[in-house]
Amino acid sequence: MIELSLAMTQLYTAGIAVAFIAIIIAFSAVLREKDDIHKLIIIDLIEITGLVVIALIATDLAEALILPGLVVGVAEIMAVSELWLAKENLQQKRSAKKLDIEVMKTAPPIIGIMLAAYGIFLTGFSGGLIAALGLMVYFLGKNVDVPFAKIENAAGYAWALWVIAFLIFMLVPSQWFLAVMLAAVGIMLKVMAKMSLVGTMRGAE
Amino acid sequence: MFEQILLTLPFGDIVHYLSGYTVVLFAFAAMFVILAVISLPEKPVDIVFGTDGYYTKEIPVDLMKFQRFMAIACGIATIGAITTGDVFNFTLFAAFIGILNIGIVAAVKNKHVLDAAFSYGLVVMMATVPLFAGAAIIAATCGTLSIWELAGTGPAPLVARLLILVGVLGEGMAPFYIGKAEITRAPGAPYILMIHVSSLLLFLRVVEILLTV
Repeated sequence: MIELSLAMTQLYTAGIAVAFIAIIIAFSAVLREKDDIHKLIIIDLIEITGLVVIALIATDLAEALILPGLVVGVAEIMAVSELWLAKENLQQKRSAKKLDIEVMKTAPPIIGIMLAAYGIFLTGFSGGLIAALGLMVYFLGKNVDVPFAKIENAAGYAWALWVIAFLIFMLVPSQWFLAVMLAAVGIMLKVMAKMSLVGTMRGAE
Repeated sequence: MFEQILLTLPFGDIVHYLSGYTVVLFAFAAMFVILAVISLPEKPVDIVFGTDGYYTKEIPVDLMKFQRFMAIACGIATIGAITTGDVFNFTLFAAFIGILNIGIVAAVKNKHVLDAAFSYGLVVMMATVPLFAGAAIIAATCGTLSIWELAGTGPAPLVARLLILVGVLGEGMAPFYIGKAEITRAPGAPYILMIHVSSLLLFLRVVEILLTV
């Protein structure tokens, strides 16, 4: 239960008022806009005002609620913008030119392997980010076939590890250390897989 | 030391919420998920005007797979919205149902369908604001998001309940349901059905929630 003092209650009321003014301004902007893509961008901004109302709870619960709210918002903007591309026939597929210099053939694997090894050593979210950076550098190099299916497989295994870790937390709490380690490895693989796909975005695919 | 903390960790007041009412809705949603899993898409038949000729449209396999995945995901999100005992989780599932409804028809290459799906997608995105705002105001004023607890603490503020209602309306009910009329021109009958089923079940659940909290 969240208990609010009197000063906090007044602060909350004032905050809600400001948030609703922001919401009204944002919605009036949509009414005035006629162009599809601009509407989409303004509506993405509107979603932020919804998160502001959640943030006004101002406890760690708010943080736990903002994160899924943000994820839903990102999923929605991605889906609707894909729809817009399909609607306007902008989904062209052309291969990008690769940079034709010698160093792009030799350096990326070395830097990539070093970063990936350090990331695996770190594990967790930050480890995943560093390992993903290594993979991104590697994919940017010349003559590299991107193993999409393998990356997706790794993401799937990471998801399974994550779920197993949660089950261990719930069912056998005495084995929490194993669960923490499984979750750390899982999130490392997950972040690595997601981020390394960014390295493949060169206009191809 | 840590072992002690983890062992005595309480499960919290956010639990699954099953009553006779929600069990019936759950069975209905589960039935349609199974239908989407096992059924093949029907082939729409167009009659050529003024003649005896007709032709059937073939559904490509990749379109069929995409629609089936989206329909199953939409069914599972509906089950989640029905069984959850937490107001915020309910709003999240409602937002997912809205976006998955669009996903079911997103791969159809038909300008009318895509136009309707795009404008409906904008409504769905806007509707997340009142949904989340309503849940957040309930959390801030009542101190909990659990529907069990809220049922005992007296009515939640009217503005919060109205916001949730407006949000759920935007996620797929009247008056915005009109936006979906063009969407259902998309081929792939058993999967398109999930759009209607999820809206109906979401409506039945939100009525129950608004009367309880």
